[in-house]
Amino acid sequence: MNEELQIKRDRMRFVKNSLCANLAIIAIVFDVLYFINIYEADVSHTVGNFYYQYRIGVSIIYNILFLLATFLSSEGIKNYKREYAFALIVLGLLQIVRIFWLPAQAAAAEVTVGSVTTRVMDAAQHVRVIIYLAASGACCIASGVIGLQRCRELSEHMASLEAKKG
Amino acid sequence: MANLRLEHVEKVYDNNVKAVHDFNLKVEDGEFIVLVGPSGCGKSTTLRMIAGLEDISSGKLYLDGRDITAAPAKDRDMAMVFQNYALYGHMTIYENMAFSLTLRKENPNVIHKKVLAAAEILDLTAQLNKKPSQLSGGQRQRVAMGRSIVRNPKLFLFDEPLSNLDAKLRGATRREILLLHKRLEATMLYVTHDQTEALTLADRIVCMSMGHVQQIGTPIELYDRPANIFVASFIGLPPMNFFTVRVQNGTLVGERFKTALTAEEKAILAAYEGKEITLGVRPENIVEGGDIPVKVFSNENLGMNTLVHGHIGGSASASDRITAKLHGWCQYKPGDTVMVNFKRKHFFDKETTNAIWGEDKK
Repeated sequence: MNEELQIKRDRMRFVKNSLCANLAIIAIVFDVLYFINIYEADVSHTVGNFYYQYRIGVSIIYNILFLLATFLSSEGIKNYKREYAFALIVLGLLQIVRIFWLPAQAAAAEVTVGSVTTRVMDAAQHVRVIIYLAASGACCIASGVIGLQRCRELSEHMASLEAKKG
Repeated sequence: MANLRLEHVEKVYDNNVKAVHDFNLKVEDGEFIVLVGPSGCGKSTTLRMIAGLEDISSGKLYLDGRDITAAPAKDRDMAMVFQNYALYGHMTIYENMAFSLTLRKENPNVIHKKVLAAAEILDLTAQLNKKPSQLSGGQRQRVAMGRSIVRNPKLFLFDEPLSNLDAKLRGATRREILLLHKRLEATMLYVTHDQTEALTLADRIVCMSMGHVQQIGTPIELYDRPANIFVASFIGLPPMNFFTVRVQNGTLVGERFKTALTAEEKAILAAYEGKEITLGVRPENIVEGGDIPVKVFSNENLGMNTLVHGHIGGSASASDRITAKLHGWCQYKPGDTVMVNFKRKHFFDKETTNAIWGEDKK
């Protein structure tokens, strides 16, 4: 192994995994943007019936859990803890799954105001929330995958140091 | 590695207080210089002027022949270690040591090598992942030194770095600084008010008082041949005893004692016949047995030595007070009289307070 790579690995003993932690924080930011945008509607006085059901409660509770779990995972992955890398991958995959739940349902649903029928979520808003969720999911998955790779490298490096000591 | 030269450096504050008067010093490459003096004597101000943290009111400062009098602190290539460590509490030891290099956007791998090398020198490798709050005072001070080492500066400046440590730790850290100096062969300037640090660390000592340089010399020069009463009283523990005496027919006549002069001492004091001078005697130069009576008022056993405090001739006058450092474990009680002799004497002009060396030693 070349010296540069060896030093890079050795640095992990003392330098936090900020890249993965920051990716997780960016995932949180995208999730917040999604949450701000998802309930926006030009026909709010009529779409209320669409959102104001069980799905708004589930959406809010899941969102709070996502924020909490991602933040905790970002702290965990910062210290090269493998289990948090897995957690971030799962959270990222769930963000992708979410694209096909509330945004897809809202985009497909129609409401009629007077004689005019309109969609609960227009195409532009739909694209926007998809982008936010996809970006959030991608950041989580990237953070998890890079984190796993680094955890593996660090544990190998520590094992080699132990072997040298022995 | 660097040569430092201060030429007629002065510091005058806005309120016209002159903190440093006409400071001249040439520091050679790899030399360990200690600036010593009581609080307020201008030693820290001088160090801060060298570091660029204070403006120089007049005079010139040269580093390796380059005039850096007006150069900003960041361009002087000097590293300063402060009394209060100045570590970042939220960073690990590794991050603290790497911080200055990170700010300079150096290659992280190079930073890593330098930090590990410094940690190895200072025996801090096992502490690199800890926060400063998890370390002892001595370890924190080592981190502060490590932060300087990684920069590989031309000059190391220490501003009373051991003042926050307890006596035992101070001794241990002092030895580490000495080893560090030998290992790095770096030029170092060290400010302290502790004469023990000055005597044990320095290649040369600059003794200061009231903004004036009193004497520059090796530790043994300052101890053995102090330039004036101030240096004589400041260097040495317990401090030197002083008495006003008259030179009279080959003897020194004090208010309550008389002591004979050797031929060499007579030659030194030839010009002072019949005049009053100040006699200085170090406590360790006083021996039991002689013709000077000392009435003991307290006795401090230090194990190997005993400090005997008393008055010459039994007088209660402050000017006759004397401290003797006698060898062994003495058991004098207050009121006892001990006969002593002065093994080695220092002479000072009463008017100028300067040391009297005689014609050949001026």
